[in-house]
Amino acid sequence: MSPRVLVLVAGAALLTTACGGGDTTTPAASGSSAPASSAAAEPSPSGSAAPVRSNADLVIWTDELKAAAVKPIAAKFATDNGITVDVQVISADLQANFVTANAAGNGPDVFTGAHDWIGNLVQNGAISPLQITADKLSGYAPISVAATTYQSKLYALPFGFEAIALYRNTAIAPDEPKTLDDAIKVGQAAVTAGKVESALNLQQGDNGDAYHMEPVLTSMGGYLFGKTSAGDYDPKDLGVGKEGSLAAAKKIAELGEKGSKVLRRSISGDNSIALFASGKAAFLVSGPWALPDIQKAGVKYAISPVPGFAGQKAAKPFSGVQGFYVASKGKNQAFAQEFVANAMNTEASMQAMYDGAKIPPAMNAVADKVGADNPDVKVFVEAAKGGDPMPAIPAMQKVWEPLGKAYSAIIGGADPAATMTATGKTIAAAIAAAG
Amino acid sequence: MTDKTDLTVEPGAGTPTSRAARPSTEPIPEVKLTGARWWREVGWRHLVGLVAVLFALFPVVYIISAAFNPLGTVVATGLIPTAFSLENFDKLLTDPGRPYLRWLGNTLLVALVVTVVQVFCSALAAYAFSRFRFWGRRGGLLTLLLIQLFPQFLAAIAIFSMFTTIGEVIPRLGLNTLAAYTLVLFGGALGQVWLIKGFFDSVPKDLDEAAVMDGAGHATVFFKIILPLVRPILAVTGLLAFVGAFNEFLLASIFLRGERVKTVAVGLYGLIDQDRSNNLGVFAAGALITAIPVVVLFQYLQRFIAGGITAGAVKG
Amino acid sequence: MATTTPTRPAAQGPDPHPTPVRRAGTTTALIAKVLGLGLVLGLAIAISPTLIGQSRWGFLAIVWAIAVLALATYAGRRALPAKYILPGTLLLLLFVIYPVVMTAKASTTNFGDGTRQSKEETIAQIVASSVVQSPDAPRYTMTVATEGSVTEGPFTLFLVSQQDQSLYKGTVDGLEPIAAGDVTVTNNAVTAAPGYTILTPQQVNAANATIKDLAVPTETGAIRPLGIRQAFEGTTTLRYDEATDTITDTRDGTQYTPVTSGDREFFTSADGRRVSDQSWLANVGLDNYQRALTDSTIRQDFIRIFIWTVLFATLSVGTTFLVGLLLATTLNDSRMKGQRLYRSLLLLPYAMPGFISLLVWSGFFNKDFGLINSLTGLDIGWFTSTFWARTAVVLTNLWMGFPYMFIVCTGALQAIPSDLKEAAAIDGASGFTQFRKITFPLLLVTVAPLLVASFAFNFNNFNAIALLTEGAPFAPDNPEAGGTDILISYTIRLAFGAGGAQLGFASAISVLLFVLTGVIAAIQFRATRTLEDVN
Repeated sequence: MSPRVLVLVAGAALLTTACGGGDTTTPAASGSSAPASSAAAEPSPSGSAAPVRSNADLVIWTDELKAAAVKPIAAKFATDNGITVDVQVISADLQANFVTANAAGNGPDVFTGAHDWIGNLVQNGAISPLQITADKLSGYAPISVAATTYQSKLYALPFGFEAIALYRNTAIAPDEPKTLDDAIKVGQAAVTAGKVESALNLQQGDNGDAYHMEPVLTSMGGYLFGKTSAGDYDPKDLGVGKEGSLAAAKKIAELGEKGSKVLRRSISGDNSIALFASGKAAFLVSGPWALPDIQKAGVKYAISPVPGFAGQKAAKPFSGVQGFYVASKGKNQAFAQEFVANAMNTEASMQAMYDGAKIPPAMNAVADKVGADNPDVKVFVEAAKGGDPMPAIPAMQKVWEPLGKAYSAIIGGADPAATMTATGKTIAAAIAAAG
Repeated sequence: MTDKTDLTVEPGAGTPTSRAARPSTEPIPEVKLTGARWWREVGWRHLVGLVAVLFALFPVVYIISAAFNPLGTVVATGLIPTAFSLENFDKLLTDPGRPYLRWLGNTLLVALVVTVVQVFCSALAAYAFSRFRFWGRRGGLLTLLLIQLFPQFLAAIAIFSMFTTIGEVIPRLGLNTLAAYTLVLFGGALGQVWLIKGFFDSVPKDLDEAAVMDGAGHATVFFKIILPLVRPILAVTGLLAFVGAFNEFLLASIFLRGERVKTVAVGLYGLIDQDRSNNLGVFAAGALITAIPVVVLFQYLQRFIAGGITAGAVKG
Repeated sequence: MATTTPTRPAAQGPDPHPTPVRRAGTTTALIAKVLGLGLVLGLAIAISPTLIGQSRWGFLAIVWAIAVLALATYAGRRALPAKYILPGTLLLLLFVIYPVVMTAKASTTNFGDGTRQSKEETIAQIVASSVVQSPDAPRYTMTVATEGSVTEGPFTLFLVSQQDQSLYKGTVDGLEPIAAGDVTVTNNAVTAAPGYTILTPQQVNAANATIKDLAVPTETGAIRPLGIRQAFEGTTTLRYDEATDTITDTRDGTQYTPVTSGDREFFTSADGRRVSDQSWLANVGLDNYQRALTDSTIRQDFIRIFIWTVLFATLSVGTTFLVGLLLATTLNDSRMKGQRLYRSLLLLPYAMPGFISLLVWSGFFNKDFGLINSLTGLDIGWFTSTFWARTAVVLTNLWMGFPYMFIVCTGALQAIPSDLKEAAAIDGASGFTQFRKITFPLLLVTVAPLLVASFAFNFNNFNAIALLTEGAPFAPDNPEAGGTDILISYTIRLAFGAGGAQLGFASAISVLLFVLTGVIAAIQFRATRTLEDVN
């Protein structure tokens, strides 16, 4: 029987091959034909002649918030050049997903992201520098260009700012506080009076949040990294564990759960904004992303830059800059460069970005126009301009978690000086170990 | 003949007619219990049951309350709904940037295909391990148990590069396709061998031996005689496989990026990861709809769960 | 013969040769076999040209090995067990074992952030991204044209200066001005040139690999394409010399050579400046294992976390089993009304998709705003002390897992022959003794394999930790290992955590973890074998 079976099998095999017609897309596994065909339902209207990877002539990755803004711009670019553009929403961990996919030759051509990714992206060889004339760049806020420039090369086209400011519930605190102490005093009075549950929402959660604590750290004279003569952050000059950070730690302990209970670990990213929006907090330290929720909830609010503590330095929040990047291993690098350097780099596109994503704009002309009738946006642009660019050097990755966890521990009652000193050592060791 | 009846009429249905359900603690059938006696023998059981139900249900109630709360934020949600509206469901189902129903369809499709393949492959292998004696049998069984302990996603990077290569040869099996994701889950094809083998072991061997003597081929014996007999365990392992695939999240988050190929787990996670405090309502609405197919399946297969797992033991 | 009749009533009766059934069976089997094998073979043949075209020999070998294996197994009459085991085993080998082997391979490298690419790629990127725009040079509107093929070239750039609209033609040989009459110019771009084919945007994009390297030499640098219709003038400032393995900055002559730092190398100048943060993938032998086994912090973490992992898995199985058993024994009484309703309701936690339950529960434990504290009137900082965080994890896992155990135990109880218990009752055994001596041992035999499976599942229950506590609480001086971390969540944080991916190192930990789970599995295997023998 065996030979007969073999012959039959050979016949069936030939048949399969013939039916396949050299088309290699026949589903290979039993029962998987259905998913295969549904995956093929991804839009690919161009019918481009490329033998493999027919995705689109330009693939853009962004997150859900920005997708709505990018899509129309991408669509126009597609029409102008007679090509197809696919905008994909990456819901979680865009940076890590991008680095892995790009290294495997499976990533997008263009993507959006925060400027503090640049150090890691550059060390992974994942992005290509941009060549944009100084003339064109002068249209953007200088701090946004500085933030997206790394080791003297521009890596992203900035489009928006992210910085935190101080929201106040104007029913509780009608006047702009001059200092953080003032804000806390007003907030605590409201708590005592039973009008709110929390004086000041500065989200930390159980694992801490170094980003939202930065104004406190800087106002007390602390810093994360010093700067080299060339103006880049210097990984060898770590401020954590030094004098200013110890003063900040002491201040945080005073405000913490064993002190005045203004800072609490139960206030986290999960509830900080919602508490304020529902009128249960007098003040909130947060960014422009909180605006839609607060406006929707209808609570009366006003925004001002985060002030410093009385008699201390000005508070400097981190300035984050959102930009468009060109992937180093995208399949369509020419279109990618064209899209970022030319199509995005116009006032109309930047205006469309703002209209769609409502991120405070980095292009001066757009910021002026939007800021004229939207004071909130103006405050955030100002806050960003008054802050320090978030360090983009790879060493910064070693700072976030330990520092956040140290803040959380100090709020919970750990010894401020000892904790901060130990954390400084931990971070320094981690930076040294990473080479 | 009796064997067959015993196995297909599951012993765990809990109906009074079921042979095994007759409680042994009941020496003489009672007509009616009253007062203290009732409380001592039956009533307290209801109390325990009620406490258990409360414990089991309060998070479910919370999710329902969040789903129907139009404010939909963490702060505004408690156990008892403060308001009622279908706004969250409306938002969930109508936002074009969030093809929820498609996610659900993808998930069901993947889970079903994976379930069928996993149960089928496991049943095949379990049959061999139960009926044949061959070199490497014990070792093979041990290896299976060991492999099962190894979490597949620890090798996520390797799997990722593997499918990058495959995608270059067969684009429809590349990353970001449900087909590739399904294939990866096929890696667990032998995940149910142990459970099914235990059941096979309890099916008397003379059954298939007799059939073979009768002239039936081994395939006929397997498909026509053995498989129908072990339906309860197939249902149970199928359910386990289904729930496993339905809940898979880590590999899906690496594989599936396009909005239209996502599974519910990745899609809903993206929703809550982005802004937990405000998307809670929409998330809860999605969670409720997601839970429906699983709950329905569970209620339908409930009798098999008890019967299937334990029927093997009945055979002793 | 008579003994076979129960299973196949069709073959009953005086006919001792139930051939119709048999024939039908073999024919179907033959057709299925032929079609199945044909499909496998056909697919192998179908994708072979592509594989050969892309020179993927390993892939090709695997495809054909599978095809040949399938043929060898199913075409003949021999190797009966293999026929049943092969499909599942192949899938297991391909999608579990092969990745595990690749993981083991990665564990001997420094693979991670900053070391994802080969040295050649890294050098090429460093040099390519060193292009500096010539400060005052004009930009050009570029049109790519060719006298040859649109995919291969050679390519010529027609350039219109954006400063003064002057026209140029650029090739690798240099830049030459051309007269306005030589070409057609529309909207300040060359749209046609006699003797040349103008490339469409798609064609420029497709040939980008060749076109982007086209540098038209000028006195101050070179004109390079940028995107599809623009060119700029710039200079490459770095040059790599393969013979000396040195990168030289052509502006000031600084030389950079590879210097080792930690587990990687960087091009570094004599005064310690790096030309770039980029390093490259290299083999580090067993260094990762050495680090895992000798670094005192990691070793302490590993041991502490291992103990908690075992404890967590044991507690998860133990609590769910106990509660499930308690409920099963309590509710399994025919005098109770509404048993089905109880069962349906108690099943709900298990039917809820796990990740949803975990995300919802994680919010319940907030100290000031969580449901647990507000319902019970407690004031516990659940995720801020290791003890309470662990309690929270076990409690949540209890909620998620007890319904399964409840159903299993109910089934097992009902399956225990009642005559056994009756006999014991007649012997005068009390309810509890009866349970302890008869019911429980019998029940244990049935559910033991499930308990082992449940233990294995919880041993690596990443979601239960990652979605609930994220490993919290953490000691401030040790951000890598939290109080509720189990081995798998710890490993994943090392591999992909915010501190930068250390994939090589995490792979080594994975391999150690694999060995460890193997040992545990072997021990449990022995235990279950004992149970099997009892049965």
